[in-house]
Amino acid sequence: MPYKFRGGVHPNYMKAPQEEVVVVTPPKEVVVPMAQHIGAPCQPIVAVGDYVTMGQKIGDNPNAPVCAPIHSPVSGKVIKIEPRLHPLGDLIPAIVIENDFQDTPCTDLAPLTEEELKNPEAIFTRLREAGIVGMGGAMFPTAFKLKGGIGKVDTLICNGAECEPYLNGDHWTMKLHPEETLKGIEIARIACGLDKAYYGIEKNKQDAIDLLNSCNPAQYGIEIVPEDVKYPQGAEKMQIKAITNREVPPGKLPADVGCNVISTQTAYAIYKACYEGVPCYERILTVGGTAVNKPYNLQCRVGTSFSYIAEQCGGFVKTPKKIVLGGPMMGLICTGLDAVNVKGTAGILFFTEEEDRTVENPTCIRCGKCITVCPMGLEPIYMYNYFKKGDFENMKKYHILDCFECGSCSYNCPGRMPLTHSFKTAKLLFAAKAAEEKARAAAAAAKEADKK
Amino acid sequence: MKEREYTFDASYQPQVRTKTGTSNIMLDVIIALIPAMAVGVWQFGARVLALLAVSVLSAVFFEWGYRKLMKKPNSIGDLSACVTGILLVLTLPSNAPLWMPVVGAFFAIIIVKQLYGGLGKNFVNPALAGRAFLFFSWTKLMTSWAVPNHLSADAISSASIAADAATMATPLSGMKGDLIVSNAYGYMDMFIGKMPGSIGEISALALLIGGLYLVAKKVINWRIPVAYIGTVAVLTLAFGKADYSNFDWMMCNLLTGGLFLGAIFMATDYASSPVTLKGQLIYGFGCGALTVLIRYFGGFPEGVTFAILIMNLCAWAIDKGTRGRQFGVSKAELKAAKKAAKKEAKA
Repeated sequence: MPYKFRGGVHPNYMKAPQEEVVVVTPPKEVVVPMAQHIGAPCQPIVAVGDYVTMGQKIGDNPNAPVCAPIHSPVSGKVIKIEPRLHPLGDLIPAIVIENDFQDTPCTDLAPLTEEELKNPEAIFTRLREAGIVGMGGAMFPTAFKLKGGIGKVDTLICNGAECEPYLNGDHWTMKLHPEETLKGIEIARIACGLDKAYYGIEKNKQDAIDLLNSCNPAQYGIEIVPEDVKYPQGAEKMQIKAITNREVPPGKLPADVGCNVISTQTAYAIYKACYEGVPCYERILTVGGTAVNKPYNLQCRVGTSFSYIAEQCGGFVKTPKKIVLGGPMMGLICTGLDAVNVKGTAGILFFTEEEDRTVENPTCIRCGKCITVCPMGLEPIYMYNYFKKGDFENMKKYHILDCFECGSCSYNCPGRMPLTHSFKTAKLLFAAKAAEEKARAAAAAAKEADKK
Repeated sequence: MKEREYTFDASYQPQVRTKTGTSNIMLDVIIALIPAMAVGVWQFGARVLALLAVSVLSAVFFEWGYRKLMKKPNSIGDLSACVTGILLVLTLPSNAPLWMPVVGAFFAIIIVKQLYGGLGKNFVNPALAGRAFLFFSWTKLMTSWAVPNHLSADAISSASIAADAATMATPLSGMKGDLIVSNAYGYMDMFIGKMPGSIGEISALALLIGGLYLVAKKVINWRIPVAYIGTVAVLTLAFGKADYSNFDWMMCNLLTGGLFLGAIFMATDYASSPVTLKGQLIYGFGCGALTVLIRYFGGFPEGVTFAILIMNLCAWAIDKGTRGRQFGVSKAELKAAKKAAKKEAKA
């Protein structure tokens, strides 16, 4: 251990782990979107004018199986419930809370007792109630994910690779709360009914690895695995490969090869929820890019607007051209400073033209560098050619659907081709096509039924 | 601070890209060619510089002119036309007339490269195709080799050239005939380029330095050159020639002709070589085998040009046949899938 994966790139890491974590005072007005997870959005369970405490449940959808409740990050008064700009671009119902700056804590969730900490059912209930989601960015409800793997999963992995450039949140979580993070993984391990869990960390975080090892991870049933520094080491499939040498087959999920992966900050959130009864409404995120005055690692509540966060970093010194949510390789683009951070926001990068290396006329020179770096062993150059032609059959034959959009091919392309972007678009087209076919089949079936 | 002041791009993922762009790669190739150009000047004099200037200028001019005429975006900034111009000169004899690289550059840039869509779309190497065109059009001019400035006494006497002679035969054509090249030229002399030949092909050392630079800069990988040169070495070692020891025959075949120039700079041309790693090995083997076949049985002494041009035409098919293993799919599964696909195709 660890096992190596083929391909990958070595981007300039641009990390600033020496920057201490700054605790951000929440703003006067906090906006909490009702969709902060994959699955059915939550419904507000408070009304305008209500007084809410910090950590009080304000949104839930008890009927949906895949859902994570949402809690108030501050104490104060609900002043509005209206659609607001979600970081992913849509207008989504959000609860606007006027902060009273008292941070009166909510006592609905008591710390779990010793016995409950050994009881998977109690843990799952708590993880759901505390609104724990995958904080690496996917925001998949953790309780659902862990529960779904029971019986299939024999290995639990905590992902501490943090291979995306800029981001330091996981690194700082390990450094500030080593024991708590390990305890969080232990809870997840117990919930899954396993004896052992692995914690994969890239070797560039040696100080964190040493610190975690000094906490005797073996007593929690955890083994720390230092991993090679290579993007995308932190991708779920690569993490599984590195630790177990198993490869998730195309179209399958980690649970199909007996693995479940949680992220570092999720583990810490699990600890907070179970040991302290504090739900998930805060995280460490990195602010970076040349547009902001001083890049920071911020401990920031959910629902803080990007303009407020930028202010905390000394404002803009250059005109920002784009806002990237998460790391620059896989991060999504946000188009407004009104948007707020959510549970899965690992970083906010304000980029200027300096970071931009797109060109007017991208030209493929057939160097094949995209093939050598693809961690999935695909041929981006041909996938792109078929995409350009609209040849769906060959796109499928060249496994365009198995691309997980890590961005390595585009990163490495000297001709600056929009490879990853095209594959993303292609996948959407495939999904639209499938939906269309399904609708047509349904219509045909309905017609048949009518005839009879 | 008011956010209304700002507008934000919704741009492509990923948001960061490597520094190395196309022009950086082409610049690296030009740098890697400097030793070979220097040896050319050292052996054949300032005339080489004139040829280089004419060739590069005309290649860039044709590239610019065609794109302008066709109202396509200007592309001379990517430096690929410069590379083609330099490579073309390196394949010419030093006493070629100055109009020759102009004609060659026209064929290479306009016919081979731009008519098929420009950079990355040409299916054969433009410089080599230009050379092949000149070779068939003016065979005599293309096969008359100037006497280099620095030649050992042994080489002069065994080639029995008169003191006032302007041209002489290359070792490769000597090998095709009766000359025992290993007696006339020392290996060291051949290695550093003390022999007649095309401007850029004579010094394996200079080309090797350039090749190592390209590999170090990750512009090319080792597969094509090593597979190519290795195949030639193995085949010539196995099938020797009378009057030569097998080892001498192999060394002569490796160090003479355009083998190193072809293997390192021509066969590795991105647009006309396979992109899959396995494919690059197969392509290298193919180039090596064809080179030996042409040298043994062909009408001309040299086989590198045509071996590479022929393999260029196979590159696409090689790519299709050598797709790599997809993550999460074991070799056994891959085989089973292929079998099933075949069955399906039959049915």
